[in-house]
Amino acid sequence: MSAATSASLTLDAIRACLEGAVPATIATCAPDGTPNVSLLSQVHYVDPDHVALSYQFFNKTRANILANPIAVLQLIDPPTAAQYRMELCYLRTETSGPLFESMKAKLAGIASHVGMQDVFRLLGADLYRVTAIEAVPGGAPLPAPVAQRSLLSATRRACEELRGCADLTELLDHSLCVLRRLFGVEHALILMPDAATDRLFTVAALGYDSSGVGSEVAPGEGVIGVAARERVPIRITHMTSDVAYSLTARDGAEDAGLTGGPAREIPFPGLDRPHSQLAVPILAGRRLAGVLFVESRQEMRFTYDDEDALATLAAQLGALMQALPPAEEVAPVPAACPQAGGAPVVVRHYAADDSVFVDHDYLIKGVAGAILWKLVRDHTTLGRTDFTNRELRLAPDIPLPDFAENLEARLILLQRRLAERCGVLRIEKTGRGRFRLVVTKPLLLQETS
Amino acid sequence: MANGGQRDGQRGGWPERVGPEGGRPARAGLSEAILTFLERGVSLVVSSSDRANRPRVGRALAVKVPADGAWIGVCLDRTANAALLAAVAETGRFALAATEPSTHISIQLAGEDAIVTAADAEAAALAARHVDAFSAELALIGYSDAFTRALMAHDPATLAMVRFRPSRLYDQTPGPKAGTAVPP
Repeated sequence: MSAATSASLTLDAIRACLEGAVPATIATCAPDGTPNVSLLSQVHYVDPDHVALSYQFFNKTRANILANPIAVLQLIDPPTAAQYRMELCYLRTETSGPLFESMKAKLAGIASHVGMQDVFRLLGADLYRVTAIEAVPGGAPLPAPVAQRSLLSATRRACEELRGCADLTELLDHSLCVLRRLFGVEHALILMPDAATDRLFTVAALGYDSSGVGSEVAPGEGVIGVAARERVPIRITHMTSDVAYSLTARDGAEDAGLTGGPAREIPFPGLDRPHSQLAVPILAGRRLAGVLFVESRQEMRFTYDDEDALATLAAQLGALMQALPPAEEVAPVPAACPQAGGAPVVVRHYAADDSVFVDHDYLIKGVAGAILWKLVRDHTTLGRTDFTNRELRLAPDIPLPDFAENLEARLILLQRRLAERCGVLRIEKTGRGRFRLVVTKPLLLQETS
Repeated sequence: MANGGQRDGQRGGWPERVGPEGGRPARAGLSEAILTFLERGVSLVVSSSDRANRPRVGRALAVKVPADGAWIGVCLDRTANAALLAAVAETGRFALAATEPSTHISIQLAGEDAIVTAADAEAAALAARHVDAFSAELALIGYSDAFTRALMAHDPATLAMVRFRPSRLYDQTPGPKAGTAVPP
C-alpha cells in the first residue's frame, strides 16, 4: 500500500466513502493470526491522518484491535462504487467530548436510515491513525457526478462579502444571504448565546414560515445545543428518529411551569422532518459567539466539504463579530415625539423573568424584555423616543452580561420581534449606536412582580 | 440512496431464521439453511492474515458448495485481491462474512486450511449469477443496478477460487449477540 501522506491518495481525497451511506468492511486478526471480517456502519473522518470507528458492542473486532492494533478497511465511494483499502493502527477510545458527540449524532441518522435505531448505540469512538491507503485494483467505477457548485469558491466569495458589513445586523443578514445565494442553502438560523442563562436564542432566520426569532435552545439540546456545548460541528446526514436530536417537538410547557402564568416560549422554527442537519459553532477567539445552523429536506445534503466550508464561514463570522467597533459614539438627536392616538394598549412586565406581554400576547423575555420595559417606561414617563446603546449598557435595571455584541444581539432580537409581533411598537435605527422607539398608540404599563 | 426498508418488515434473528434444520443432508458440514443463505444475493466479504499477523480484506464474487464436497469455494478477482490471496496461500487462514443487506442477517464462517486454486469452468457463470442476485437484493434498499454492477465489476479471466472447510460459524447480525458461535 502507498503511504497515506503520499501525493497519490490522501484520506481527504476519499472522504465521500466516510459519509455512512454505504457500509465499509473491516478485517482484523487475533494475536494468533485468526482473521475476522465484518461490516462497519460508521467510519468517521477526524483529520487528514486519523479516522474513528464506532464502538457499539464488545465483539470480536473490538477484542482483536485491543490485542493487535492493526485493522484494514475496504471502503466504497457512494456515487461511483470505486473501492479503497485503508490500513489503520488503533490508538485509543473516547467516550465523551467533541469527537464522541459528533459521531453519536451522525450514527443516530445512520441508524434510522438503515432501520437499526433500536440496535445502534455509540459506546465509544475508537480513534485510529491511517497508515496506508490504496485504490482497489481493477474494477469499473461509474463516472463521478458533476458537483453543483464549488464550495471553495463560494467560501471565498462569502468571506469577502461579509468583510464589508458595518454592524451586527448587517453581518447576520448578509450571512444568511450568502448562504442562500452562494451555497444554495434554503433553511438556516443563527443563534447567539445568553451568558446569563447559558441558552442560545435565535437572532436571524432564513426559509421558515415563522422566523422563530427569539426562540431558545438549551446547551446540549439537539444538534445546535450539542454543537454549542462541545464547540464542534454536528452533522446528521439522514433523518433521525432519535428524539435527542429533535428540536421541533417542544411545546413550551416546561417553560410555563417554571415561571407561572402564560407560556413564554417562542416556537423553534425548524423543519418538521429534516433529512440533513448541520450546526457549526461560531467562535470569537476562545469564546462561543453563536451557532450557525442549516438544514434540508434532502438526505446527504451536507457533506464533509459543506461542513468545512461552513466552519470556515463561521470562523470568519466570529472574527468579524469580535472586530465590530462599539456602536455608541454619537449622541442622540432628539426628535419630535409623535402623538399616539386611539385606545391604549396594555404592556405588562413580569419582573421574575423580565417577560413582556402586549395586550396578553407574549412578546419577549430576558435581557431583551428588560430593555423593552426600560424603553416604554422612559417613553411614557419622560416622553423620550430616542435612545443610545451606551445608556442601555450602563442602565442598572438591564442585567446585561459581558461582551459588546450581547447588547447588539438583544436589540436585533427585540427589533425583529416587534416587527413580527407588535403593530404598536417598533424600533428604528437612527444612526451609529442610536435608535428610536416608535409608538403608534397610547401605552398603559402594568408591572407584575 | 438506500431507504433502510426491510424486506420482511422485521429484523431476522440468527440462528432461528437460517439455523440448523435437522434431517437435511449437509454439505461442507453446514445445514441446508445456511448453504441456501450463502447462495442468495448476499454481500460476501472476506479476510485473511499473513505470517506477520497483518489482516487482509477483500470482496468475493460468489460462493460454491459442490454437492458432494467437504469444502466451500469462494470466488474472487485476483487483480483486486492479490495481497489477500497471498496471505491465504501463506497461512491458510480465511474468514467469510455473508450479509443480507435488506435484513442485516449476517454470518461468518472461518477456517484454517484454506488454499488458493484456479477457478473452474463454472466460476465465471457462478459469479455472473451472484451479481444478478446481489443487484436484485440491493435494489430492495434503493441501490441502482449500475451501482451494484460497478461494485462487483471483475474480469472473468482473472478469477481465483479459495477452498476451505469451515471450522467456526458465528452469528454476526448487528446487536449484542454478534460474534456468538452458531452450531453448523
